[in-house]
Amino acid sequence: MEVGMRRQLEERESKIMLPNQSADEVSHLAVDIGGSLIKVVYSSSNNNNEADDKGKKSSNDCVGIPNGSSDYPVLCGRLHFAKFETSKINDCLEFISSKQLHRCGGWHQEASPHDKNIIKATGGGAYKFADLFKEKLGVSLDKVDEMDCLVAGSNFLLKTVHPEAFTYIDGREEYVQIDHNDLYPYLLVNIGSGVSMIKVDGDGKFDRVSGTSVGGGTFWGLGKLLTKCKSFDELLELSHKGNNRVIDMLVGDIYGGGDYPKIGLSSTAIASSFGKAISENKELEDYGREDISRSLLRMISNNIGQISYLNALRFGLKRIFFGGFFIRGHAYTMDTISVAVHFWSKGEAKAMFLRHEGFLGALGAFTSYKSHGLDNITTH
Amino acid sequence: MAGLTEDHPQIGIDDIIDGSEQKLNEDIVERESGGGAREMAPPAGNSIHRSGSRPQLDLSKAAIQGNFEERDPTILLPNQSDDISHLALDIGGSLIKLIYFSRHEDRSVKDRRKKFLEEKIGVSNGIRRSYPILGGRLHFVKFETAKINECLDFISSKQLHRGGMDAHDWNSDAPDNENAVIKATGGGAHKFADLFKERLGVSIEKEDEMNCLVAGANFLLKAIRHEAFTHMEGQKEFVQIDQNDLFPYLLVNIGSGVSMIKVDGDGKFQRVSGTNVGGGTYWGLGKLLTKCKSFDELLELSQRGDNRTIDMLVGDIYGGMDYSKIGLSASTIASSFGKAISENKNLEDYRPEDISLSLLRMISYNIGQISYLNALRFGLKRIFFGGFFIRGHAYTMDTISFAVHFWSKGDAQAMFLRHEGFLGALGAFMSYEKHGLDDLMVHHLVERFPMGAPYTGGKIHGPPLGDLNEKISWMAKFVQKGTEITGPVPMASPRTTGLGGFEVPSSKGATLRSDASNLNVGVLHLVPTLEVFPLLADPKIYEPNTIDLAEQGELQYWFTVLSEHLPDLVDKAVASEGGTDDAKRRGDAFARAFSAHLARLMEEPAAYGKLGLANLLELREECLREFQFIDAYRSIKQRENEASLAVLPDLLMELDGMNEETRLLTLIEGVLAANIFDWGSRACVELYHKGTIIEIYRMSRNKMQRPWRVDDFDVFKERMLGSGDEKPHPHKRALLFVDNSGADVVLGMLPLARELLRRGTEVVLVANSLPALNDVTAMELPDIVAEAAKHCDILRRAAEAGGLLVDAMINSQDVNKENSSSVPLMVVENGCGSPCIDLRQVSSELAAAAKDADLVILEGMGRALHTNFNAQFKCDALKLAMVKNQRLAEKLIKGYIYDCVCRYEPASS
Repeated sequence: MEVGMRRQLEERESKIMLPNQSADEVSHLAVDIGGSLIKVVYSSSNNNNEADDKGKKSSNDCVGIPNGSSDYPVLCGRLHFAKFETSKINDCLEFISSKQLHRCGGWHQEASPHDKNIIKATGGGAYKFADLFKEKLGVSLDKVDEMDCLVAGSNFLLKTVHPEAFTYIDGREEYVQIDHNDLYPYLLVNIGSGVSMIKVDGDGKFDRVSGTSVGGGTFWGLGKLLTKCKSFDELLELSHKGNNRVIDMLVGDIYGGGDYPKIGLSSTAIASSFGKAISENKELEDYGREDISRSLLRMISNNIGQISYLNALRFGLKRIFFGGFFIRGHAYTMDTISVAVHFWSKGEAKAMFLRHEGFLGALGAFTSYKSHGLDNITTH
Repeated sequence: MAGLTEDHPQIGIDDIIDGSEQKLNEDIVERESGGGAREMAPPAGNSIHRSGSRPQLDLSKAAIQGNFEERDPTILLPNQSDDISHLALDIGGSLIKLIYFSRHEDRSVKDRRKKFLEEKIGVSNGIRRSYPILGGRLHFVKFETAKINECLDFISSKQLHRGGMDAHDWNSDAPDNENAVIKATGGGAHKFADLFKERLGVSIEKEDEMNCLVAGANFLLKAIRHEAFTHMEGQKEFVQIDQNDLFPYLLVNIGSGVSMIKVDGDGKFQRVSGTNVGGGTYWGLGKLLTKCKSFDELLELSQRGDNRTIDMLVGDIYGGMDYSKIGLSASTIASSFGKAISENKNLEDYRPEDISLSLLRMISYNIGQISYLNALRFGLKRIFFGGFFIRGHAYTMDTISFAVHFWSKGDAQAMFLRHEGFLGALGAFMSYEKHGLDDLMVHHLVERFPMGAPYTGGKIHGPPLGDLNEKISWMAKFVQKGTEITGPVPMASPRTTGLGGFEVPSSKGATLRSDASNLNVGVLHLVPTLEVFPLLADPKIYEPNTIDLAEQGELQYWFTVLSEHLPDLVDKAVASEGGTDDAKRRGDAFARAFSAHLARLMEEPAAYGKLGLANLLELREECLREFQFIDAYRSIKQRENEASLAVLPDLLMELDGMNEETRLLTLIEGVLAANIFDWGSRACVELYHKGTIIEIYRMSRNKMQRPWRVDDFDVFKERMLGSGDEKPHPHKRALLFVDNSGADVVLGMLPLARELLRRGTEVVLVANSLPALNDVTAMELPDIVAEAAKHCDILRRAAEAGGLLVDAMINSQDVNKENSSSVPLMVVENGCGSPCIDLRQVSSELAAAAKDADLVILEGMGRALHTNFNAQFKCDALKLAMVKNQRLAEKLIKGYIYDCVCRYEPASS
């Protein structure tokens, strides 16, 4: 095991070639199998170039991990990130199989047989698809608690990667420098199919304080029913072009175009999402799919932003980080969440986002391999 | 309670006349002459002249308009300026909520008894009334906004926009004031302003929505006892809220969007939050997804849905397992609509029912969560949810409650309001400068459920029925199948008056009430003269009902008892009205109406608010009165009074031959024995066929074997007679709550009263204001006492001193002087028309009489067992009754039928 781990770390090397590092040696693999998406994180040596990623939904990223004051010979390598739709889990299995990623866990001959063929996995699907992994790839999934992974992943990113956190206001990303000594406590809002809100007090110290069932799954599920979109990205794409005023009932629609200043509502504030559909004699087909998608996105983002803020307020948390696949770097989503937090907090709180937002769980699972050495890595 | 139907205002207690004495009301005489003629002679103008303390209505030259048979006879006020309105509206996107006030002038009879009481015990309604509260009724009506013409017809037919003039007799030379104004709120107040101007010639004055909401909620929470309730897993539980501990609270109004308002007091509130995911989202998205045509249809669909087909549950993610580490069960929704992602299905492949339910759960749950977070933020204990989204829909309320419970870990509870749809309209009503509602207290209000209530279920407006005939025919058109009730939708007739003409609906009855749990909203009777009985030890914890009907078995039992008793009651009622065809028709309609009430309550026990046996028994009496059965037991009462009075002298002689101690025991035995004469008890009705009154009485008394099942006689005796040489001081004044006519009062309570008088205690006989079963009324008692007094000097002197003897009443002032040495025997009415009594709402004369009283004697099942068995008083209290019901005997005293209760509780000090 010890050796296996070291080997794994060695595989991270990208900038520094180790003499005993074989070039084609790949890495470790961890998966986060959510309700809608499977997120895969694996490490490879520098030889593994990005073009190898053939996953349909894959995205590539490189985290430069410089050598730190580790007891282990922490080396530079690459962490790869890939995504698959859970409903197309076979794509994912093929991807793993084609890259032989599942072999890497116990690749080294010195690894005990017990450690062979074990992949760290998190997300609800780690339970559900355990048999499938066994059958198709002959590997066992070692289930790592989802929350633990999320928090570990996010702590890792916030402490290690710079720049990682940013605010998104009026279409502008602005990276935020976070003092690690002043990181905790913070609220981590993970928007997957559902939404978990986690108060993080330190490494391994956290509490799921709230959540909502109105999350990414709702956006995509309802959106699919309403627009017949085939994919989440397509739905997101549509929302870009939409105008939510077509379907949403605005304050101005109720008050004859005027504001309701008494309670501080401007005429363009949404009074009721989808509320205009009530009074108009229109059917689903009469509305633009773009507009529907936009209204839906605003409804859900706004709601998440609001509930998150209320929870941050409740526990006196200064920072709210939003992560999870729903955000996906999508400007409009980030914008509505930011606006919601800004609105409800009267400007006192700011929503922050993580560059590696979708991979918190998978990263956390990855870091759960014993002695991976990532713990001690710092941003420098 | 007050039981003031407009059909016989003269015996009401709502005495707001401070003018001249009226001679005995002709109307009673007319009624008793038996004819169908109930035409009311317009009273002389000065007879309803009012004090200047109520500035809003000029009632000079007022006259009753229209046929007196009408349900809502109205009073023409030619000198009343027309800008006074009794109507307010909340015109929402889907429903119009209308509240109107109908004045209800009870020209109470100022007979000698009352006049005497005023002088003797200081009851004077005219003087006491320094606040401008009007007696009357608040009616709550809903219309669909899409059918606004129905609403306009309704207003027009009742002339509500003219301050409630009657349509038929509208005096054409009354000024048509173009400046009349109606207060309204809701989005439609702007939209339909022109329509109102055009159709009714009135202007709409728009009131701020949020102001109205808060004013309405504050009024309801303060003035209506069982307004708020919790709803968990289908169970409703009414919550009594201490008026002094109401604020601050969170009011969540779920309309198209959701507003969350922190309320700190009257007119003091702040919108602290809200969400755009509200009723409009449910309906809007639901419409797009299911093609439903109406909100109600969508709600209806959800009742048959299964959200698991479309929501992603925790179990779906975790392969059927819980995620117990973070406290999520497998059935928790992880992602609303999340399952639609992974399945290869289109919209058409999902059942609209399931979609509707998923949507409902998503939105309700979300609202509950955000509300709780806001309550937490401001440290608010209570969250009240209202607005059209809820609509009394059980599943919606359950989901919201669940969310609040879940997120607060049980610390917070969601509460709902029975009048939830009417907050805005009520608030608009209260925005009139002088609505008088501010001063109303909870004991001033009596809510009644008219005959249409079981059919309309509080959802659609009741029919504007013109007269009794229409009522009967409306009733007759209902079809009853078992306990399932279907009813016609009131439709506007081609004449477009909105009156009459009901057709059987094409849709099945179920769509009328998509949800049986919809609560009814009754008519609020404003009775400013009602007061809290001052001798209650703690009115806050007082609960009149001994038996809780929340338990299904208990309700079922009383349902059966009342149903079985119904044919007999109808026979009596019809006979009391001369057995005419008209009486038979009315009897039939009454039976249907009351059966429908019972069926409705079996279906939803909370439909009319918190249900106790007292409410059920009163409902029956009210229903009888609604069909103009004034006094079903009149002839029986008369016969029994006469028979009992005939044997009274013998009984008094027998008593006078006893020593003090034996006599006291015999008297209490007598009260208990005589209490067997009760037409409300089926077991006793059968006894009547077995002998004469005196025979039954003697047999009953002989059977009185002490110890009784509850027997505090020795303690009572010691209080009365003392022990050893110590002679206790007599009570100053005793209030005797009497029960039945005949032997019960004549052979039981009167001799006891006589004994108290003999000991120097003033006696006040407290009797019903309105008839209920064979209970003696305050109207009848003076005659009974007068008759008894013929044979007994003690009673005669006391009755004279108490102003009960007509011959001696030439001048009550003189009487007072002459008899100053005698302790008086008085009669007061209790303010009720029920066999039970709720001591939170009694007549002002009883309240006044109670001030000097130091002994309360409650007699009979209705007042001492069904209600008040556990009531605590500030003074000595004696509760006497024979239990004439096996189930009650078992339940209450672990005994048997005909067991006796003699419960004595010294003043709690």
